[in-house]
Amino acid sequence: MSEPYRKEIEENEPQEVNSQPPGNKPAKKKARTFSQKQRNIASGYLFISPFYLLFAVFGIFPIIFSFYLAFFQWDGLGDMNFVGLNNFVIIFNDPLFWKSLYNTVIIGLMGTAPQLIVALLLAFALNSVLVKYKGIFRLAIFLPYVTSIVAVAIVFSVLFSNQESGLVNSFIGLFGFDPITWTRSEWGAKVAISAMVFWRWVGYNTIIYLAGMQSIPNDLYEAAKIDGATLRQQIWHITIPMLKPFILFTVFTATIGALQIFAEPHIFQGRGGRPEGITVVLYLYRDAFASNFFGTASATAIVLFFIIIVFASVNMYFANRIGQSSKVGSK
Amino acid sequence: MKKYGFMTGLLTFAVVATACGNDGSEGNAEGNNEASAENSVEANEEEAEVTSLGSEEAEVELSFWLFGATGYPELAEEYVEENPEVSINFQEIDMEDHHNNFFTALSAGSGAPDMAAIEVSEMDSYKDAEDQFINLNDLGAEEIEDDYLDWVWEIGSSVDGDFQFGIPTDIGPTVMYYRADIFEEAGLPSDPEEVEAMIETWDDYREAADTILTETGIPMADNPETVFNAKRDQAPESYFNEENELILDSSPYVKEAYDEAASMIQSDYIDNLAMWTPEWGGGMADGSYATLLAPAWMQGVIKDNAPDETNWRMATMPEGAGNWGGSWVTIPEQSEHPEEAFEFLTWLLAPEQQMKAYENMGLFPSTPEVYEMEEFVNTTDEYFGGQNTAEIFAESALEVEHVHKGPQYGDVNTEIIDGLFNVMDGADPEEEWEEILQRTEQRLAR
Repeated sequence: MSEPYRKEIEENEPQEVNSQPPGNKPAKKKARTFSQKQRNIASGYLFISPFYLLFAVFGIFPIIFSFYLAFFQWDGLGDMNFVGLNNFVIIFNDPLFWKSLYNTVIIGLMGTAPQLIVALLLAFALNSVLVKYKGIFRLAIFLPYVTSIVAVAIVFSVLFSNQESGLVNSFIGLFGFDPITWTRSEWGAKVAISAMVFWRWVGYNTIIYLAGMQSIPNDLYEAAKIDGATLRQQIWHITIPMLKPFILFTVFTATIGALQIFAEPHIFQGRGGRPEGITVVLYLYRDAFASNFFGTASATAIVLFFIIIVFASVNMYFANRIGQSSKVGSK
Repeated sequence: MKKYGFMTGLLTFAVVATACGNDGSEGNAEGNNEASAENSVEANEEEAEVTSLGSEEAEVELSFWLFGATGYPELAEEYVEENPEVSINFQEIDMEDHHNNFFTALSAGSGAPDMAAIEVSEMDSYKDAEDQFINLNDLGAEEIEDDYLDWVWEIGSSVDGDFQFGIPTDIGPTVMYYRADIFEEAGLPSDPEEVEAMIETWDDYREAADTILTETGIPMADNPETVFNAKRDQAPESYFNEENELILDSSPYVKEAYDEAASMIQSDYIDNLAMWTPEWGGGMADGSYATLLAPAWMQGVIKDNAPDETNWRMATMPEGAGNWGGSWVTIPEQSEHPEEAFEFLTWLLAPEQQMKAYENMGLFPSTPEVYEMEEFVNTTDEYFGGQNTAEIFAESALEVEHVHKGPQYGDVNTEIIDGLFNVMDGADPEEEWEEILQRTEQRLAR
């Protein structure tokens, strides 16, 4: 809803707005004679209704149905059997579920933490006056983000081939390491999957940081230089504090994204996944679409939903605190 | 206001989470990293190929969902010419998408076509839903039953045989592809007939594997999966009995196949090239492995991967063939013209048309009548050194016996194959078997 519309509606008939669910025709008993105000309200809602209708059909309904399904055993074609909390009991007793949760967190950490640090450094380099042809570098760094994730996964599957002659294996062979079965070893799989996440997302975060850095007034740096600050001091005391909101944003999106890693392990390890690289979403997908166990898949979705709420709230808590303290500081 | 912001933020992310989580295919791409992955997966899949045949004024419009390269639309041109009252709409798409679409249409209760193919590995999971399909016996399927191989027909029917789900299309009788050059290098006979005489049993196979490994250093097979499949498919029962109860720990056959594959792994007779990986395909051209235990349709894969190779030959499988692949065409309950659809199917899948499908696309016929046709008997293949390939496949096809699979067959299979690869990475076969049993039990409890 855009701001002007909202104001108009609120000024006109605040009571009415609250009592009417969005998208409904204002067809009450007095509806035969529409006043101009009512027409305005109606047309406003009509204009915004396509989004809400689509969202109701493709967003709200599946969510509610998923909650409902979590208490049933269902193969998608036959009858639904009510099983109460049994689906949750099954997944909580499944070591593979916990393994997938553990993998998700580990792969998330390995894929995003170094990525954000590198992105920060890259952005700083791109923002510095020393680099020439900035446009080309910026484009080059952002380009991986445009690549299809499936293509990325397929190319990385070839790089991280299990064979001794695979590219990564030959490379580490130069340093005297033994070849690694990337798709089936505990850390090999995680490293390969994190590498894909890293490669694809580092440019995206770089560009966000770069945008943030360009909003920092140059005067600050100049003043610091006059006071004799070194480059390191400039990064530490000017760039990073000023970038806080941007860093928070990227940490936030990266955390949520990391909890939903799916395509990389799906393609790297095959449809069913393997315990070394299975993530929660892949675990869910495997239940629902490889085996038609829709009940346990929905139960997993709900557990994931609550996990994400927890992560989001923790992030929000810190975000709010930081906002407060900076306000106090500025007064 | 701050509180309000917090709540909206929370809600937004909650929605993002479930929008993705609820069925795994609706990623919300809004700024968060991997959620957009699923969108890309869908965007990258090939779109369906649609072919419409027949005049627009036709009274009956049939729709037919297929996967893979069947060449059926070309074949059917003749049919719509002779039957102007019928027009047919073909939709061809990748196999996994096809089954997903079809499953969704049945589950939703609308949108299913008049005819849909189902692949052998998916067949049993649809058999739970008899009310979703038309019993082809009611339309006269019993009359054409004798045209088809018994075991193929049985896969397409219910356990008691009363309900016929589909009419068989092609099948995948298995043979042993081998590299003549590697056999020669190891000092073994390389002529197909001599090879068949030399490798009649699995013990013979091991013996040949041992000779080849010591003489050339090349492993006998590409990966444990193909070896395990080959031996498992020769058994009279598989993972489930006909009541769909798991018989993995009571029936000896699967365990035997597992043990055989595991011991071959430990003797280094089996390479580490998982199926469908680039290395596996490359191995067909490079000669990384001496034999490939695979079905008839694999000849196309071999030719694609190793177009310049002249050393591939084929021989019968040690201890008898199995079947790997093939489809059945069903008529969903939702169809408005089941009679016309059935009439078209009986024409399309009759021996004469199956012969043409074999010539066009290499679909191996499920009707034994074709095996005696002159064009068929005389099929030789220059690629395989001028061998009479049809004969070998036909011999295998007649040997296969019906084995009940069960809806959860694929889940069990995945666990066993995973287990065999774990053995390859150094796990103890007996301990791994216990783990497989546990993992399977855990899966089937859902």
